[in-house]
Amino acid sequence: MQIYLPIAEISLNLWLLLGLGLGVGFLSGLFGVGGGFLMTPILIFLGIPPAVAVSSQANQIVASSVSGALAHFRRKTLDVKMGLILLIGGVVGSISGVQLFGLLQRLGQIDLVISLCYVGFLGVIGGLMLVESVNAIRRRRGASGPVRPKRRKRGLIDALPFKTRFAVSGLYMSVIPPIAIGFLVGGLAALMGVGGGFVMVPAMIYLLRMPTNVVIGTSLFQILFVAALTSFLQAVQNQTVDMVLAGILILGSVVGAQIGARFTSKIPAEELRALLALIVVSVCLKLAWDLTSTPADLFVLIDAQGGQ
Amino acid sequence: MLRHLALVLTLLAAAGGTAFAAPPEGVQPPAQIAAALTEDVVEIRSTFAGAELTLYGAATGLQEGDDIVVAVRGPAGDLRVMQKRRVLGIWINAAPVRFEDVAGYYAVASTRPLSDFASFSALRRNQIGMDHVRLYAPESIRRETLFGVRNVMVTDLGGEIVDYRAALVRNKARRGLYGEAPGGVELLEGGLFRARVILPPTTPTGTYNADVYLFRDGQPIATRRTDLTVVKAGAERAIYDLAQNRPVVYAFISVLLAMLAGWTAAAVTQRR
Repeated sequence: MQIYLPIAEISLNLWLLLGLGLGVGFLSGLFGVGGGFLMTPILIFLGIPPAVAVSSQANQIVASSVSGALAHFRRKTLDVKMGLILLIGGVVGSISGVQLFGLLQRLGQIDLVISLCYVGFLGVIGGLMLVESVNAIRRRRGASGPVRPKRRKRGLIDALPFKTRFAVSGLYMSVIPPIAIGFLVGGLAALMGVGGGFVMVPAMIYLLRMPTNVVIGTSLFQILFVAALTSFLQAVQNQTVDMVLAGILILGSVVGAQIGARFTSKIPAEELRALLALIVVSVCLKLAWDLTSTPADLFVLIDAQGGQ
Repeated sequence: MLRHLALVLTLLAAAGGTAFAAPPEGVQPPAQIAAALTEDVVEIRSTFAGAELTLYGAATGLQEGDDIVVAVRGPAGDLRVMQKRRVLGIWINAAPVRFEDVAGYYAVASTRPLSDFASFSALRRNQIGMDHVRLYAPESIRRETLFGVRNVMVTDLGGEIVDYRAALVRNKARRGLYGEAPGGVELLEGGLFRARVILPPTTPTGTYNADVYLFRDGQPIATRRTDLTVVKAGAERAIYDLAQNRPVVYAFISVLLAMLAGWTAAAVTQRR
């Protein structure tokens, strides 16, 4: 059954979109990631204009992070102060990202920048995850491997001014690193249509040294508000949020996430992470291939809105 | 089917009527055309997956060897064509050329291949056929004085315009928006003819013109225009209008709906 998307102005198969939402929702439930990094490239591949894909995807992230953020808020596994400071950076990042998006669209380079961002981030993160989970599996198989020494070096971050106390995380540190991380993630949300958890969670653990029990909740808190803001700004400024598309994706992903969450306990954690890393790396390779292989048509049409 | 029949009958009457109504003392026009579409408004609703219409027409004074061309042009808009160039191993879009008023949809159907019966100049003048799509790039046009003539329009594109036109047609044709159908006009008995008009799902909204030309000796000797409107309707229209006219309200609603959906999902699963 075909469904016409009023803002994307194309007609797609309803079941395909629902299935896509379900599949990505399943993965996000299974791995505890947002799944935006998979959804956005697929939507663009299906022929949805990049601007509409990114903006509607931001709306879907709002829906998928609400429930998680609420649960963590109730359980108090959420550092609200840290979240708010991340959010300050996130708001600025999101606003700049939406502006940059509009500029790149007018220049006809938005596809290129989206693809390059994806190749860069997915390549680095997927590669790191793959190495780490393979090492972990090997260590487990090889009985008692050497335990990784904890890094102690954090000289640069300690030297920064504007220090404040984060009671929930038990940290006393400068506000500059969280604002910078928030800014980066906000910009990514606007440009790539991702929540940015895959950047923020490692950054919180390794750079900010936050205790792991508050990391997920705090990152969801920041993602929720940044995604809501991004979606709002894209709708107001560029009119690129497709309610129908977002609704279908939300419906599919909400159900998929529940199914995924139930499967989590049935698959061993390290293998699960290796699998996710493989998915991330293959999406990266596919995008890199598309960037470098000779295109079928050496000319491209770009309409007034920057769509193709 | 009934509607089609009724349409044909009306056309016959119209064609006959106009022929008789022609002034007897003046020069009798060599031929006249009447034409109508099976639908003149196409509505895009949530299940829209393209549309197929039929254009029926009648020509009086149609002779052996005459040809009929039907050209449907969709709403015009600005468009940029960019060339992909390889930089450091990566293909990037470069050399943008902006064209003004490019038809968003363009389909040509004819009784025979265009070049078999129409002169190049007639096709170019009327912009009939994929080789004659009008391309106007104001930024690449300069006015110069050449050979003592002032205000000669010179384009920087030169011979490249052919590549750009081919690229435009190729890209649009891939999405079913541009197309040429030699033999797409079917001649029926008594000067009646018909042609199919296929609108793809991505067809733009707006006013379309369907022009019918009667060609004799390489030149169009009669033309007729009918209009077609493609509009969004129902929920699709309401959503689109809201997004365009009240973006802030639309933004609030979409974010609130997303939050509500997420919250509901969480509430339902927790109860289980």
